[in-house]
Amino acid sequence: MSRKLPGFGLSLGIVLFWLSAIVVVPLSALVGKSLSLPWDGWVAILLDARTLSAFRVSLLCSLAAATLNAVMGTVVAWILVRYEFPGKRILDAMVDMPFALPTAVAGITLTSLWSPHGWLGAPLAELGIRVAYTPLGIMLALAFVGLPFAVRTVQPVLEELPSEVEEAAGLLGADRLQTIRRVILPALRPAILAGFALSFARGLGEYGSVVFISGNLPGRTEIVPLLVMQRLEEFKAPQAAVLGVGMLALSFLFLLPANWLQSRLRRGR
Amino acid sequence: MSISIKGLNKHFGRYHALRDVDLAIPDGELVALLGPSGGGKTTLLRTIAGLESPDSGQILFEGRDAALQRPQERGVGFVFQHYALFRHMTVFENIAFGLRVKPKHERPSEEEIQSKVGELLKLIQLDWISDRYPDQLSGGQRQRVALARALAPKPRFLLLDEPFGALDTKVRKELRRWLRELHDELGMTSLFVTHDQDEALELADRVVVMMEGRVAQVGTPDEVYDRPATPEVFQFLGNVNLFHGRVAEGGFLHHAQATTGTDAALAFVRPHELEVERFASSDSSVPAVLTHAYALGPKVRLELRRKDNGSPMEAELTRDRYRNLGLVAGDSLWVTPTNLRVFCSDEDVVI
Repeated sequence: MSRKLPGFGLSLGIVLFWLSAIVVVPLSALVGKSLSLPWDGWVAILLDARTLSAFRVSLLCSLAAATLNAVMGTVVAWILVRYEFPGKRILDAMVDMPFALPTAVAGITLTSLWSPHGWLGAPLAELGIRVAYTPLGIMLALAFVGLPFAVRTVQPVLEELPSEVEEAAGLLGADRLQTIRRVILPALRPAILAGFALSFARGLGEYGSVVFISGNLPGRTEIVPLLVMQRLEEFKAPQAAVLGVGMLALSFLFLLPANWLQSRLRRGR
Repeated sequence: MSISIKGLNKHFGRYHALRDVDLAIPDGELVALLGPSGGGKTTLLRTIAGLESPDSGQILFEGRDAALQRPQERGVGFVFQHYALFRHMTVFENIAFGLRVKPKHERPSEEEIQSKVGELLKLIQLDWISDRYPDQLSGGQRQRVALARALAPKPRFLLLDEPFGALDTKVRKELRRWLRELHDELGMTSLFVTHDQDEALELADRVVVMMEGRVAQVGTPDEVYDRPATPEVFQFLGNVNLFHGRVAEGGFLHHAQATTGTDAALAFVRPHELEVERFASSDSSVPAVLTHAYALGPKVRLELRRKDNGSPMEAELTRDRYRNLGLVAGDSLWVTPTNLRVFCSDEDVVI
């Protein structure tokens, strides 16, 4: 292409400056701080049993919450796009609430609801299911904060999908299940995956809503961001930075393949 | 397959979309549902397909009640106005869809699917782009893929909703001819919706004119064009000049002096059925002034204004006739209808 759209130089300049100021510089500072620790210090922190357990809890709970959100978010988006019912606008607005609510408020509310004495926790406790102060509770909190991502990525794509496409599939002999599996889900797949990735990333870094419901039992319900906070409170900034870099690496490890898959699916259309 | 429709009614909220529609479509015909937008054509088509359920009335496929059959079971091939292709599938997979979703015991083998889809791709002359995605096709190509996809599961009849509506004139003409040939080759009962009278008259064996949710007229293209059943149908089918007058002594009087005779009557004359002359040739000639003339291919269209009541008229001449008359805007002329279609309250007469 010999012709370029005008304004490329200027807009690229603005983008690079902004990204540097907002993302690159803080992250570099984080890495820089962590490098003040020697190699064996890194190993000691990252391979510590408590650290490893926290990473496991963070990772598994985030994955579970993102999976739950991908499924439920798609269902919510489906309802919001495909049906007309009273209160639909209110429901639509409610989806964004987890964005707006201070996460600590959400955390305390969830904890009191799901604790063994809470409205929802008490009946479950009688069945022997504990939610608060277990990984299940962490997952619930992460599902709460990540839900808007899953809904808001799928919703516009679903709106763009004409209902005629479903009618066409039906008239060609597909039953409802085949229509969903072969026509609707493939069209939504990139969006669902994007929602999953965003919800997962949000879950990994989430702190405020989790600390209350998790109970923070070392080795069982302790998450990485909490460890980071603890190191900071002990004025051990380099140690905290090492944990931060570890989380960063972990996010990249999962988000890069997700993005790659997403662009491949997009191209496939 | 023959389709027969009895007393069909459909409401959308307070809007009465279909009013007592009765219609019989014989096996193997290519039928046009013609009418202005909002006339109920698409609703009728979608109801036949089973995409809408009627409030009352019956649809019979070869005598069997369609209400007992789900859309999938009706054997309908449906082509949507905006194609509704599956965007994440190649052309090949789009066409193969109807074969792949068949229940296991009816589903053809992979080789059969390959050869069946190959045949259809040849039929629509697109076998060279079978691995493209719908986004990479032109409008005409997409429409042909949509048609092949509808034909793949061997439907018993074909329904097309404004099949050429979104295409430009040239492609539309080509596709029209191609669809006619295809229909003659396959002999499948086909029903298409259009608001373009040229398309309906050119393509169809039979034209169903729909207005305000009712069937206004059913007939061959010639019948519908030459003998419109109502003034509304007449006005919808092409340009028309309107004369007010009365019927007296078996003739239509459109002059102001027609004070005797029957009730008020309306007469319609097509532009090519108006004789244009320098002098009055009969009692029924009307004086007019030429306001504008322009060429339309081999014809010349004249815009005239009646001297007696100032109403506008349109006439159509051959280029030769136009040249021989040596017309210029502002000329005073006499206009004589050669063929009048008169609608007089409830009876109508051709004079």
